[in-house]
Amino acid sequence: MVKMLVPYPDNCTGCRFCEMACSLFHEGKINHADARLQVHKKDVRTDFPSVCTHCVACGEDCCVHACPVEAIKEEDGIVRVDEDECTACGTCVDVCPFGVMRMEETAFKCDLCGGDPTCVKFCPMGAIKYEEPNVEQYEKVKKLMEGE
Amino acid sequence: MKAYHGKILRIDLTAGKSSVRTVDERYVRKYLGGQGFAVELVYHNMPKGTDALAPENVLAMAGGLFAGFPIPTGGKTAFAAKSPQTGTLVESIMGGVIGAELRHAGYDALEIAGRAEKPSYIFIEDDRAEIEDASDLWGKNTREVPEALKKELGWDVKVACIGVAGEKLVRFACIDCEERQAGRGGLGAVMASKNLKAIAIRGTKDLEPADPTALMELALRYQNVMENAPSFKEDTVYGTGEFLGWINKEKGVFPTRNWQSGVFEEREQIDPYYWATRYVSKNKACFACTKPCGKLFEIKSGKFAGVAIDGLEYETLYSLGGACGNASIESAAKGNEICDVLGMDTISAGVAIGFAMELVQKGILTEEEAGMKLTFENAEDAVPQMLELMGRREGFGDVLADGVKRAAERIGKGADRYAIHTKGMEPPAYDVRGMKGHGLAYMTSTRGACHLRAGFYAPELVGKFWRWEGIDRQSPEGKGAMVATMENFMCVYDSVGLCKFSRGFFLIEKLCEVIEAITGLKFTEDELLRIGERVHNLKGHFNHREGVTRKDWLLPTRVLEDPIPDGPSQGNKITHEQMNKMLDDYMTARGWTADGEPTAEKLRELDIA
Repeated sequence: MVKMLVPYPDNCTGCRFCEMACSLFHEGKINHADARLQVHKKDVRTDFPSVCTHCVACGEDCCVHACPVEAIKEEDGIVRVDEDECTACGTCVDVCPFGVMRMEETAFKCDLCGGDPTCVKFCPMGAIKYEEPNVEQYEKVKKLMEGE
Repeated sequence: MKAYHGKILRIDLTAGKSSVRTVDERYVRKYLGGQGFAVELVYHNMPKGTDALAPENVLAMAGGLFAGFPIPTGGKTAFAAKSPQTGTLVESIMGGVIGAELRHAGYDALEIAGRAEKPSYIFIEDDRAEIEDASDLWGKNTREVPEALKKELGWDVKVACIGVAGEKLVRFACIDCEERQAGRGGLGAVMASKNLKAIAIRGTKDLEPADPTALMELALRYQNVMENAPSFKEDTVYGTGEFLGWINKEKGVFPTRNWQSGVFEEREQIDPYYWATRYVSKNKACFACTKPCGKLFEIKSGKFAGVAIDGLEYETLYSLGGACGNASIESAAKGNEICDVLGMDTISAGVAIGFAMELVQKGILTEEEAGMKLTFENAEDAVPQMLELMGRREGFGDVLADGVKRAAERIGKGADRYAIHTKGMEPPAYDVRGMKGHGLAYMTSTRGACHLRAGFYAPELVGKFWRWEGIDRQSPEGKGAMVATMENFMCVYDSVGLCKFSRGFFLIEKLCEVIEAITGLKFTEDELLRIGERVHNLKGHFNHREGVTRKDWLLPTRVLEDPIPDGPSQGNKITHEQMNKMLDDYMTARGWTADGEPTAEKLRELDIA
């Protein structure tokens, strides 16, 4: 079974710990812009994570298709950026429906930490789970992101 | 030295200018961060004798040493200024993200002085700090302000702001960031006195730990420790009010009807074991907390339909519940929401209402003067109604908006006999008649009656903590030295930015390796406690300098003369002799004069100039 990050907005407390842990794990420093996922705090009722779905729920807004130099590829269920090919044009950042494609010298993104996602370890409330993909949850997040 | 930028941003609202002061490792070794930095800035930069609402008062803000790094529960922000409520140096700690965001913008602390010509907000975006017009934000509440600013500046901007209560200079107005408050001491009124409605920050800089690998290991270790602790379930399901039933029924120290009793017989509804399953739709957390005690409490129907708050905390269940004889959880929740959106401290606001209700009960205040049926029996309606008036300083709310001490002076007729406070600060939810050392802590707390400056309720109610066992809550013996030590302990906590609910997990010695992983600096437990002592002495010296002396520390008459009438702590009170003995012991332990002034020798020893 392919496992994926699945967001559960109803469980998110808005603590943003996952962003910090993600940034520390991948970059060795903390910067919320380096985190491969995002926590949104809209109002008292609404906190939620947005995560990369690795092609599961992006539909037409797909970084793999959008990349003009084909530097983004899906393989074995994980979407990766080929840094040598990437021209940092930013198309993928613009198109990403979850706002989790990042850009510095090249584009970079969630790689599921090689199969043991750091964000999940720090989410005891279960706002991000590592399990079978769940399109319903991804659609929920997309809807919550409208207007941002 | 990693993690710090070595920069403090100073904004002079009168001149409309900002400047940057550099600080070095020596400064960090003296004050750590968070409360330590904020207190240092107020202590050294506010001219002696400044009125709390004058432009010369200094409002300081700093994220704790851990803030911005992934240490569970370590994301706190400290605010500090001279308080319009107590006249002392008040620091107030919040779980909002604003201090961490300031660090991402490249500053270790922010110092605000002066007064802007017109309503303004500060916008800090990395190296750029601007003072912007906030005329259209004036009058808006603490939910409308961030919404408007985010719409204008981008949704990723972090905002701390005041509500209408701040604008009206309510003496216990708070500062809000993301539904988390720097609640105590009226720092929201200080902000308003500077014509400052909000602080908006966008920080894009890296925070670099000294040892990322060690930090990740520590983060995981403490995550596991917390998640597997027996208290995890209680905290995350029931929140901070989890032990309300225990405090109320087993210990009999839940102050009820303005401290007329230690047991609230009608507590059923305000106990989270009743309401958590009925009203809570999700958990809410402070920034960087993976053990959320916050609750999204929603009322879907009935006369209070529409209420949605991050609450109710234990203290609020007391202040808007038991202290007012209010058995309706929906009414207390509505009151909580009013306090949050208008920007008022729930503790002081609720205690002030309970005080007025007792005045009506005793015939000192009439319902006509109060403008409503302000009685314990009518609490369900009266509490929310009076809070609305207080937050806007309308009707009798204007009197209560100054807190119980000043309200009693204005009302006269012996009303001060029923005003429960120390240093003008309304007390939190522990009836200290049954907890002698905690009673001492209410007196010695530099910001007036407070449960968190020493956190001494825990050692006394449980009977053991840290270095001590067999603690007798009825005895004044040895409490002076213990309270002084716990105050130093808590100053360290507020300087590293850890939640005090974690103090059972991270005893001071355990902080050393975390600090080293983040900063590369080595500290011993004793060195950290010495920093805590220094920070506390700064506050103590400031307060004495500003004229707040031992006579202002004393316990309210009720605690000294009216024993708890019923329940498990029946007959308990703190006698004048016990009070004075504990104070004398405390002053000796501190190396302060009997009047509460740090001696020159003590200041020298702590390298305080």
